[in-house]
Amino acid sequence: MLEDIVKSYLIDNKGKDPALFDNPDLLVSELKLDSLDMVEMLFEIEDRCGFQLPDPMRYAQMHFSAMLADIEQAIREHNNGELPAFDLQATSH
Amino acid sequence: MTNVLITGMGAISPLGADRRQSFAAALAGRCAIGRAAPDIAQWLPQVLTAPAAAEPSSLLDPRCAGLDRATQFALVAANEALCDAGIAAHPDDARRIGVYVGIGFGGAQTVDALYARLQQTLRDNGNPAVMHPLSVPRMMANAAAAAVSMQYGLHGPSYTYSVACASSAVAIGEAFRAIRDGYLDAAVVIGAEAMLTPGAMLAWNALRVMAKPDADDVSRSCRPFAKGRSGFVLGEGAAAIVLESETRARSRAQAALGEVCGYGCSSDASHLTAPSSEEQVTAMRQALAQAGLEPGDIQYLNAHGTATEAGDVVETASIRAAFGAAAERLAVSSTKSMHGHLIGASGILEFVLSVMAMNAGALPPTATLDEPDPRCDLDFVPRTARHDCEVSAIMSNSFAFGGSNVSLVARRHD
Repeated sequence: MLEDIVKSYLIDNKGKDPALFDNPDLLVSELKLDSLDMVEMLFEIEDRCGFQLPDPMRYAQMHFSAMLADIEQAIREHNNGELPAFDLQATSH
Repeated sequence: MTNVLITGMGAISPLGADRRQSFAAALAGRCAIGRAAPDIAQWLPQVLTAPAAAEPSSLLDPRCAGLDRATQFALVAANEALCDAGIAAHPDDARRIGVYVGIGFGGAQTVDALYARLQQTLRDNGNPAVMHPLSVPRMMANAAAAAVSMQYGLHGPSYTYSVACASSAVAIGEAFRAIRDGYLDAAVVIGAEAMLTPGAMLAWNALRVMAKPDADDVSRSCRPFAKGRSGFVLGEGAAAIVLESETRARSRAQAALGEVCGYGCSSDASHLTAPSSEEQVTAMRQALAQAGLEPGDIQYLNAHGTATEAGDVVETASIRAAFGAAAERLAVSSTKSMHGHLIGASGILEFVLSVMAMNAGALPPTATLDEPDPRCDLDFVPRTARHDCEVSAIMSNSFAFGGSNVSLVARRHD
């Protein structure tokens, strides 16, 4: 679900090719996101989970799957180990 | 020095989704004023507004949906003006083309939304630190200038003037100077404003300058120069013009819609909101002198005409002082009676309507002037438009809170 939110945002708002995400070894750097793109993308998650993800620029060095795992871990740490159900639709912009 | 021609114009206003619709509605005397939207009316049930005739986002690429509303208005008006001028994105001489924007309260919608979100988050015991990362780029005063320069790849200077009600008139004047003096060959000039938001309207209401609803017809509540006037109505939208050196326009055989030939500006340096006749007269005389015109050479003047008690009387006296005996033959109107007061965008919207009036030989009226204030004794083109007029030159006045006075003169370029 977390993956769906991020992928949908990147495809719908940043014009990324959906085929990019078929690659299991996809690097975040291959998405060619600048720093503003990166924080915009993370806001899609932050807006739903209610806290700021720390140090977003470190994701630029990660695999896409590792970034998602890292984000999920951060969310679970804020929710007693649980991963809340997020609406695919953003709450506000 | 070179002549500075107007080669394109655009507008999205309470009167229409483009400049031609806006001008046609102005000639028809249609007033686009009504009661405020529910989010404002819940706090201010008597307040009136003049919303734009079209949603700007509906006229733009979906990628513009996240921009502040004022920036969206600016892009719509700029798109029309640049298309009118036959200038596409990324022109060869992009470094010689500037973007000049006037805006009073840039990012009002973004700021209002930011505080609304903050209040809701606090009520929900949420974390107020989670805020959209584009909040600052959206609300910054130069957001519109940035958006237009990026969309069209224009590498000349990108300036934003915030001079309250004179903002976009200053932008026209400064772009005119830059081209006339050879610093640029062309410029896109835009005025934009979008502050029909609860927070902004509460602030304006506190100044006690807003028109009261007319008991018989709410749309006719803004009555410049009338005996029963009670203030202005805030509007929203944008207008744009393309200015070009005569050399550049000729090199590509681009027809001109007129020539900007006079720009006068002065500061009252006396009171935050009360106008000063002396400095208004100075601005008008400067503009006439720069244009090399006599008062009798101007046939139409679009007044600042906000329908406030002090403003209309002082402007009437100022026009009489600047124009002397020629004031008796001068047609003056306040189109704010129809489209409301667009604050930072008002100067350029009224300038566009004035240039269109010059070319059409048809003068938009002061549509709500049923009974003039005896102290406002000029020919204010009351109620209905005047057609079949010979207009060779126009003046447009913009007088701002803070004491800034701007007068612009344009003439035909046949």
